Amino acid sequence: MYLVANINVEICASKSCKLCTQYCPEANTIQYSETMGTDKGYKYGTAYIAVDRCKGCALCVWVCDTMAKNNAIKMIMIDQLPMAAVTDNIRYEEKTTVAVLSNPMIVIGN
Amino acid sequence: MSLDYVKFSGGFEKFMPKEYRDMVEHGPFGKKISVSQMGSFKEILEEHPMCAGCAMTLFIRLAIIAFPNPEDTITVGTAGCGRLAISQAAIPFVYGNYGDQNGVASGLSRGLRLRFGDKPKDVVVMAGDGGTADIGFQQVLHSWFRKERFTTIMLDNEVYGNTGGQESGMTNRGAVLKMAPLGKKFEKMDMLQMAKVAGCAYVATVVPNNPRRVESVIKKAVLIAREVGSTYIQAYTSCNIEYAIPTDKVMEDAKTVENDRYQFTEYVSEEAKQYLTERYGYKDYLPKAAAPAAAIPTKA
Repeated sequence: MYLVANINVEICASKSCKLCTQYCPEANTIQYSETMGTDKGYKYGTAYIAVDRCKGCALCVWVCDTMAKNNAIKMIMIDQLPMAAVTDNIRYEEKTTVAVLSNPMIVIGN
Repeated sequence: MSLDYVKFSGGFEKFMPKEYRDMVEHGPFGKKISVSQMGSFKEILEEHPMCAGCAMTLFIRLAIIAFPNPEDTITVGTAGCGRLAISQAAIPFVYGNYGDQNGVASGLSRGLRLRFGDKPKDVVVMAGDGGTADIGFQQVLHSWFRKERFTTIMLDNEVYGNTGGQESGMTNRGAVLKMAPLGKKFEKMDMLQMAKVAGCAYVATVVPNNPRRVESVIKKAVLIAREVGSTYIQAYTSCNIEYAIPTDKVMEDAKTVENDRYQFTEYVSEEAKQYLTERYGYKDYLPKAAAPAAAIPTKA
């Protein structure tokens, strides 16, 4: 098992600084979705991780904790994630993305 | 070389991988995008085999987003870590022999001008500190003296990271590395000064802990290289493996190094300033203090 980043939607959707999307060294790994936050009644959208692309460097954790001071990102073992996005389930729209969350272990096992 | 080169041939769309389809439909080709939109469009850079948490990868990712016309850009690289990521992007990538990247780019840039005339086709060299300052040094400097119109970006990780940690010309004096156990005995090469002496129209240092600045610097360098002359960007992109930086502390290190010895500097020649202002509407180089100062004597 290995660690991947996990973003707390409640904190992220109330701040929406988008800093982590700009600092991740991997392309299209930290994505941004308007609906994932606003659908749950939060003010803004939220960032989320495409777990199949995350290499687990935790650079985003430092950015979120130290630069943004939001403490919304934690590293979690991939089999402990309740639900997560993978590249196959991410759809791009005009200025946002839409992700269908699923259990990452099931999708990776396919 | 146009927007069409990424599009599907008729009937093949359903056979293409999702990532490719996303890039054609939601990629940045033919659009104006910026780093503030990151995470909401499909990037040109794809998955790559570079180490987790590598600052060089982050810089390459930002650089590719910053290209003013990615559909009209060719990247040129050489041996080194950087080419592992640059080659995984939907931009034509030319991989020269070690050190000849600026020679290849000179010919490429001239050939594109002959073929396409005034239509801008950008050539961007992205090579490591070894490829630029050591092994490719002669070709780099000569391309600058010839005022070849393309951008040279040095991905300065201050070590030969790909081959086990030998010292390079850009390593700091005294640095102890796996393959340089006695510490480097000479100073870090001053490539910025050399670029200015050789006549580069734009010279800048940048650290990737400021994405907007990286974007702005690369845009300016590529635009100036279209007509004015050679441009040079030196980017500090730490090697977290050879310098043993924990991956989650890579940006902290970048910040420390930026404050210590890699402050943002930018040199723009007068010709380049005029070009940016007149052609691309940059307001930064308009005479600011001169206007009110000139107004006072006329009133008096």
